Amino acid sequence: MKDFAIRANKLKKIYSSEFEKIVALKEIDVEIKKGEFVTIMGPSGAGKTTFLNLVGCLDRPTSGKLDILGCDPAKSNEEKLCRIRIEKIGFVFEDFFLISSLNSLENVQLPLIFARNFKNNTNPETLLKRVGLDHRLTHFPNELSGGELQRVAVARALVNNPQILLADEPTGNLDTKNAQGLFDLFRELNREEGLTIVVATHNIRLGHSTDRIIHLNDGKIEQDERLVK
Amino acid sequence: MKFFVLAYKNLKRRKSRSFLTIGGVAVAVAVLVCLLGFNAGYQEALTSDVDKMGYQVLVTAKGCPYEAATRVLKGEAGLKFIDEDIYKQIISDPDIDKITPLLVQLVYDPEKSDGKGGFDSYSGIERSYMELKPNVKLKSGEWFSSDDADEVILGYDKAESIQKKLQKTVGDKISIPGEDTNLVIVGIFEKTASLEDGDFFLPLKTAQRIFEIEGKLTSIGIKLKQIDRLQAFEERLYPIASIQVISMSQVKGTILNLVNSAKILIMSVAFIAIFVAIIGVINTILMSVFERTQEIGIMKAIGASKLDIFKLIWIETLIICTLGGIFGSIIAIFGGNFTELLVRKVMPYAPGGRLLLITPELLLFSFFGVIIIGIISGLYPAFRAASMRPIEVIRSGE
Ligand SMILES: Nc1ncnc2c1ncn2[C@@H]1O[C@H](COP(=O)(O)OP(=O)(O)OP(=O)(O)O)[C@@H](O)[C@H]1O
Ligand SMILES: [Mg+2]
Repeated sequence: MKDFAIRANKLKKIYSSEFEKIVALKEIDVEIKKGEFVTIMGPSGAGKTTFLNLVGCLDRPTSGKLDILGCDPAKSNEEKLCRIRIEKIGFVFEDFFLISSLNSLENVQLPLIFARNFKNNTNPETLLKRVGLDHRLTHFPNELSGGELQRVAVARALVNNPQILLADEPTGNLDTKNAQGLFDLFRELNREEGLTIVVATHNIRLGHSTDRIIHLNDGKIEQDERLVK
Repeated sequence: MKFFVLAYKNLKRRKSRSFLTIGGVAVAVAVLVCLLGFNAGYQEALTSDVDKMGYQVLVTAKGCPYEAATRVLKGEAGLKFIDEDIYKQIISDPDIDKITPLLVQLVYDPEKSDGKGGFDSYSGIERSYMELKPNVKLKSGEWFSSDDADEVILGYDKAESIQKKLQKTVGDKISIPGEDTNLVIVGIFEKTASLEDGDFFLPLKTAQRIFEIEGKLTSIGIKLKQIDRLQAFEERLYPIASIQVISMSQVKGTILNLVNSAKILIMSVAFIAIFVAIIGVINTILMSVFERTQEIGIMKAIGASKLDIFKLIWIETLIICTLGGIFGSIIAIFGGNFTELLVRKVMPYAPGGRLLLITPELLLFSFFGVIIIGIISGLYPAFRAASMRPIEVIRSGE
């Protein structure tokens, strides 16, 4: 059991508004091992973002069981979810979502402000060096290219030494070369640190460079493809 | 990096808006400080003015007692005259400790105020004047050589301006505009910080002769042996039909009452200023919260708790209010002179001392007042920001 980073049992998510109910995830069963590098693929509206948000403790499931490194988000209060997000999970978004008033270094330092007594972190400068941006420490987001922005975002996601890195279409705004570079970086982190990585993407070629592809469609797992190297 | 730095950086991002909001707070603080400072200062200045006058009781011709009193306080003439005989009649009253006759006359000087023209006040006095006024002393020169000499003693400020304009001082001769007589300056009074510093003082008889009002006075200043004998004293003077007795403490009370009603008006203006400043602060912070919906969502996604976001927004509000408080205090200290000028124009009677008393306690009080206001006005925007949900925000960004 300790082997699993993420385990979902009949995981269900319904978005209900005044007028309708949208079932975004229909009782999904999935297990992701520690140290796995997994891609989630599927057409738009398949539920990829929904799944990542549940795993990332940004949202709560409607029903079903979810186990993230031994924690159950359904049974945790807001404060606890916050701790999980800070201590165990790093998030990377398609739109980078850097804070425009802060430079690269400060953006990477930002999660440390919220971490309070949690001190298991990596030096932000070391991290930026690691993602190849040691010459861009004092640049602001509007002075950086898309590829550089996403690498700052990755550094920010890693500053609290998370065990799981979640990336929602991280290459959506990048060209082919930068997209490949980012996946290479992911692979390196996965190999060297044993980081569990879950990436949602539309890019089949990039998906095939990972360990496993989970095909989602209409809220269900259509195919769970393990790639042998 | 700390919350404070983060909050500061955000305020810096919208420089002009933050600056205007801080300005609004600063104005509100400045108005408050000036107002409260005025409150304390006016009362003190008026009291010291009345005390410096030395009289507890003033005898004048019948008329409006408060008009008479303020005119005397201001060193103005325009009063009806009383007969010198009355002075002689009451001088032996058993309750009187000290008594002095006064004749105040205004003379128009076309050269005054750089040719704009204005009135100068000439007071006819006797030696007893100096006994009644505890802080009137000769700075240089000496008292009149005789009680009808063509001599003049200058108030401190008047002496300075004459020295500067005419290069004349003790021993020199000056003339009264419109009169033939020349007067020798025999002495200069020390500064009393009252309006009399700007006056000319002549021997009473000389004044009566020059202004051709022999045997007349404008008022009689009296200090009683015991102030609680005032009523008995007043009753004894009652039969003299042409005069009235004015007690200065009464006058003080009446002036303060008058000022109080004006103060209520100004207070309401101050409250409006503070109210507008609060709305301004809330508006600025709320706007920046809404503009940063996405950013706040991101911070939550990377681990910020509700409390963290609350703190962040709250600190921004506090920075605005603190800076506003500091600038407001500076404005109050340096703009106080301007306010004083304004107050002197609109107030029924403005005493000679400083009207605005800005003490450290007052500044501290206003400063903490504005911080408390900041704490309160930051609550709502901070609460709004804290309750934003991260996924909605991130979704809206996609
Ligand atoms: N907050 C929400 N409220 C209502 N419906 C939602 C909400 N979020 C997602 N949905 C719906 O749930 C379904 C799954 O959405 P989700 O964002 O998970 O898809 P996705 O696979 O990430 O798609 P894409 O590739 O376009 O990002 C969609 O039909 C979407 O409209
Ligand atoms: Mg999506």
